[in-house]
Amino acid sequence: MSQPMLSLKPEAPSGNTPKATPHLLPCRVHHTGSVDPVQSFWDPKADESGTGTAYFRGRKLQGKTVKLPEGYRGIVAVASPPEEPSRRPEEPEVVDLEAEAPLGTLQAQAEFDEIVVWGHEVAVDGAADPYLRGAEEWLALADKIHSYPATTAKEK
Amino acid sequence: MARTRSKGATAPASKGDKKTSSSSSTNNSSSSVYSLPACSTNPPKLFILPKTASSSARVFTLHHPRYNKPTRYLVCPSAGFFEFTTVSPPKSAPRSWLIQPTTSTITTTTTTTTTNDEDSNNNNTTQTIQSPALHLATPYDPLFLLLPALFSSSTTSSSSPTSPTTHQPQEKQKRMFLSLEDHLDALPDPARHLADILHSTPSAREAVEARLRAVCDVVQAGDESMYRVSEARVVREVLGKARRMVQGGEGSLPGSMEERFVRRELEAPVVGGSVASTETVGSLADSQVSTASTAATSVTDGEGIGGGEVSSAMTASEKVVKLQRLRVAFNFICSSYIAPAIAEMLKGQLAKETDLVDFKPLDEYLAQLAKLRQEAAAARTTDFSRKRMADEEADERAEKRRKMEAEEKAKKASMSRGVKNLMKVNTSGMKKMSDFFKKKA
Repeated sequence: MSQPMLSLKPEAPSGNTPKATPHLLPCRVHHTGSVDPVQSFWDPKADESGTGTAYFRGRKLQGKTVKLPEGYRGIVAVASPPEEPSRRPEEPEVVDLEAEAPLGTLQAQAEFDEIVVWGHEVAVDGAADPYLRGAEEWLALADKIHSYPATTAKEK
Repeated sequence: MARTRSKGATAPASKGDKKTSSSSSTNNSSSSVYSLPACSTNPPKLFILPKTASSSARVFTLHHPRYNKPTRYLVCPSAGFFEFTTVSPPKSAPRSWLIQPTTSTITTTTTTTTTNDEDSNNNNTTQTIQSPALHLATPYDPLFLLLPALFSSSTTSSSSPTSPTTHQPQEKQKRMFLSLEDHLDALPDPARHLADILHSTPSAREAVEARLRAVCDVVQAGDESMYRVSEARVVREVLGKARRMVQGGEGSLPGSMEERFVRRELEAPVVGGSVASTETVGSLADSQVSTASTAATSVTDGEGIGGGEVSSAMTASEKVVKLQRLRVAFNFICSSYIAPAIAEMLKGQLAKETDLVDFKPLDEYLAQLAKLRQEAAAARTTDFSRKRMADEEADERAEKRRKMEAEEKAKKASMSRGVKNLMKVNTSGMKKMSDFFKKKA
């Protein structure tokens, strides 16, 4: 398969993962990577009602902060492919294709517990925005669909 | 592609440069031009993960039970299975991520570095991610992963050692009791991820076996359990899930789902406008309703779904709404997680087992509704004296416009040459003929 199995590495090597706030900009930025220093063109201000205001390249944006539901956390992570040499040398059991599935890693760079969804001029509509709905509706619904009784009550 | 990217990359930088030179208080002198590091080749992704997932969790690939495409799943020895749902906006609303550290410290610019260095630096720098995807990991019942294997094993079992040679090709033929491993062999799992995981983490295997027991008949063969899927139990299980989804009545389904599949599905055609037609349809509905007394309550006039002056001809009773919700939930599960063939079979099974849930009132109501809709549509097309509905208005307007155009053409053809010539003259400053015949103020 092109996609290897990944192991989750939530902790940065130094110990605790730095906190971050993902802002969902209402525009496409054709760049992936560092954009520091950012203060000069991204300086969101939150008012007392929790709605953020920012001016991005001359356009007024309104941001709505979305807290992740209870029991969930967000990470910004980089998936890296497995290193070539196999992790465990040999296993006696006979698995027909390959002895050991190569294991890549999912390395967390930052952690977040809320996201800010920005809209042009007005804050985004919770009923229409796929992100808000995903965070609010789907997580709750998926819990209901997939919870199964008794044997693994720790699921929740 | 390359050009737009470079544009995007330079634009914020130049902007930043402008601002800093005007404020002149930042770390660099006004001559500085920030150069962005090259786009990282391995872009970070945003995940929302359950807090319970430990570091021993694995992300693995399996074929989606319905779409049969490789899909990513997360399994954690303690927390169970999770699936990834990717949220991404429609093309019409482009989005991108800007990740800002919460305690943002001004770091001096780094010129293009190797990706490795960048990775370590990224921890406290602001970065953008072009892809707007957000990956949600939500709890997942491993049962759905197994269903295709369970149902397909009757056809593929000829290759497995435990099956006797009496195997028959028909789908409906007797299924064999198979061990978990044999069932797994039937799964399209090219990288053998699931098998590996179940092999290496006993707790995940236990969870899967527990789920198997819920839907299968089990026999013990030595120290090994053999499973055979039971359709009735699968239906019961899925229905149980659907019931859980709709528990709590109003507001148990997500708002958008409730609106689209429950309220609109059950909404009777709105009748409004002329009183006479409302009454005929209304009374028709009334008589129908009274014959099928369980199906729906009588017309409630004041409380129209559409609001305002229109009122619907019939409203669904609480029971019907509940049944519809349950059916929506059931169908949702079927259409999201279960292969079409199996889903069809489950639906058939559900219809047969009326002691589980009886959809009869709902079906009656829906049949009535379809009739009513047909009648309403027929009434709309034949009764021209009635005020048109909103969707017809556009039609009407188009017709009007066409008529006007035709009229104008006819007018033009009949105009004298003098009038035609006069039309070209700018008459804006001139007095109109009618002005001379007005009363003096």
